[in-house]
Amino acid sequence: MSAQKPAQQDEDPLEMLVGGLSVWVGKLNEIVRKVVDETPIRNIINWGRIYSMWPVNITTACCSAEFGAASGARHDLERFGVLPIGSLRQSDLIVVEGTVTKKMAKRLRMIYDQMAIPRYVIAMGDCAISGGLFHDSYSIVNGAHEFMPVDVYVPGCPPRPEALEQAIIMLQEKIRHSKVYSQG
Amino acid sequence: MTILKKSLTVAAMEAAQSPESGPQTLTVSVGPQHSGSGHMRLIVELDGDVIVKVAPDPGYVHRGIEKICEVRNIIKNIPVIERPAIIDSSNLNHAYILAIEELQGVEPPLRAKYLRSLLNEMNRIMSHLYWLSIFGVFVGHTTMFMWPLGDRELFIDLAEQLTGARITHSYIVPGGVRRDLPQGFAEEAVKRTEYFEKRLKEYDKIFFDNPLFSSRSKGVGILPREDAIALGCTGPTLRGSGVDADLRKDEPYGAYSKLDFEVPTRDEADSFSRAYVRMDEMRESCKLIRQIVKEIPAGPIRRKAPIVLPRGEAYSRVESARGECSFYMIGEGGDKPYRVRIITGSYRNMAAIPAVLKGGHLADIRTPWLTLWNSVVRRDR
Amino acid sequence: MSAPLEREETIIKKLKEQFPSDIKASRIIRRSRPEITVAPEKIQEITTFLRDQLGFDHANGVSGVDYNREARFEIVYHTSSLNNKEMRDLVLAVKESTPRNAPKVPSLVSIWPGVENFERETFEMYAIQFDGHPHMEKLFLLDNWDGPPPLRKDVRVPTD
Repeated sequence: MSAQKPAQQDEDPLEMLVGGLSVWVGKLNEIVRKVVDETPIRNIINWGRIYSMWPVNITTACCSAEFGAASGARHDLERFGVLPIGSLRQSDLIVVEGTVTKKMAKRLRMIYDQMAIPRYVIAMGDCAISGGLFHDSYSIVNGAHEFMPVDVYVPGCPPRPEALEQAIIMLQEKIRHSKVYSQG
Repeated sequence: MTILKKSLTVAAMEAAQSPESGPQTLTVSVGPQHSGSGHMRLIVELDGDVIVKVAPDPGYVHRGIEKICEVRNIIKNIPVIERPAIIDSSNLNHAYILAIEELQGVEPPLRAKYLRSLLNEMNRIMSHLYWLSIFGVFVGHTTMFMWPLGDRELFIDLAEQLTGARITHSYIVPGGVRRDLPQGFAEEAVKRTEYFEKRLKEYDKIFFDNPLFSSRSKGVGILPREDAIALGCTGPTLRGSGVDADLRKDEPYGAYSKLDFEVPTRDEADSFSRAYVRMDEMRESCKLIRQIVKEIPAGPIRRKAPIVLPRGEAYSRVESARGECSFYMIGEGGDKPYRVRIITGSYRNMAAIPAVLKGGHLADIRTPWLTLWNSVVRRDR
Repeated sequence: MSAPLEREETIIKKLKEQFPSDIKASRIIRRSRPEITVAPEKIQEITTFLRDQLGFDHANGVSGVDYNREARFEIVYHTSSLNNKEMRDLVLAVKESTPRNAPKVPSLVSIWPGVENFERETFEMYAIQFDGHPHMEKLFLLDNWDGPPPLRKDVRVPTD
């Protein structure tokens, strides 16, 4: 690297320029964050997030039967904007449905890490809250909060679809009152 | 995180390499997060687009139910036993209670047997409808996702009227059942099953007669009759390969010896036949539900049974929606079982996954796999 | 009812005729549930005879049982017949015992291909070796499980 540098004086203005620009971009980032979080722009962005929460297509355990029923015809989750979409990068919600085994916990964490910010977690069912019916089993993790941050807990074994709908509404309330850049 | 990912997947994939693999085959991991029948991983070896070998990697929902059952009393085990197949829970419940009653020497009253069969048939329809909706959406037919789930709610309402819960009924107990038929149940059941049979014709029109679906499933995923028997397949997988085995006829339990129904079978042994067998089974279940509410005898619904599992062994099995579910129970006196061994239909059908997918294309992986309806929760227990 | 246990008794008789010294014990628990106990060394011959001559074409399941007070493991193969309609409701239990400190039995995968997954599970839950099994490795447990085989009786559950 140093052998290819023609002369130290020629590089300095470029480095200064790049260094100066990055400082300006950093300041601009801070200004944007401040502006967005203290003006009605925050409400618009949150409104967009609330009404199009797309969960990851993952069915962890038996609560998935009620998640399926909730997405079905009678209790339609799509009217809240919840639509299971295939790609991880386009999802912002992960619903941990039911028991999390140790084998699955590693993969769930990988999935959570692959999702783009902002991302939210709903722990559905007693098993995702504390281990539930299988709390003394040798192969499960007692609760989703052991390895992921959880936003909403939905008790029940399994919770009724109406309970899941209330969870979605609670999560929407939570997002509505939170800052846009709260997750980075 | 990347180091962890590499060690898990590469190690498993290397373990699954077969003698046919060489520099021209590619090992691909399908799952566990994917659109399929729940999270199980398939380690697929491909030669171009053709599948050379499939090794299933189950265990993502393994909760250790057999171990838990040994430390809980036999009544407290009922919810634990139901959870492997939550949408078809009363069939597992029935098999468990049959084993206990055999050891205890208790015979439930006839009315209780009819009620047990009634709930079993409703659960069979509920389970097949859930399968149909998942199958529809993963083949790409979103209307087929909504319609069966909507019609399934009809039967969930009936089950809620009868037992108090939507899907986890815990209705069958040693000696009988918990509750009796509510008033007006018979008329509701007849109305709903008649409406549902009309709906089944509409399903035929939009899905099964649809050339898009039939071209994806006819001739795809063939499981010959001898292989199906030798691998121990059961349920609609077996009946779709031409074997008319159904425990409700071969080894009747509950009230099935007194009811009149047929066992639908198809000989083509491809994905379409496995899928259509389930449609026919739903029609038979509707007929059975109407028969049961009409012919149910009066009488008590429960006989006294102790909360004790006497010394001995019992092997009981029922025809659940996915196949034969068997319980091997060993009691040693006391109220906790010594050993509870559960083998469900999906566990037996797991042996058919490599056979059905081998030789097909990667894009065709979903149709045959889903017609096996290898519910992971039920298999991993 | 004419001779209610006739089928079961015929099966056991034929087995005893063919293998006079290898059927250690036999009993009929109830109708459609006969049971025989054999030595692990002879189980492959006996099950081949069951499959080819008596028509037991598939295995319903394999269960491992830990009789820790008698210091042995028992492996039970349940088998039944699908091709033979009159015998569809009959489930024959074939039991074999192996000592608890060095459990090793032959694998029946070559006879009933469907038992492959069941034997794998019995291996991981009890650490019983099945000789001749193509993939003797973990099935359900975590990939790098380093604890004891879970279903053994000396592994306690927290609420026990």
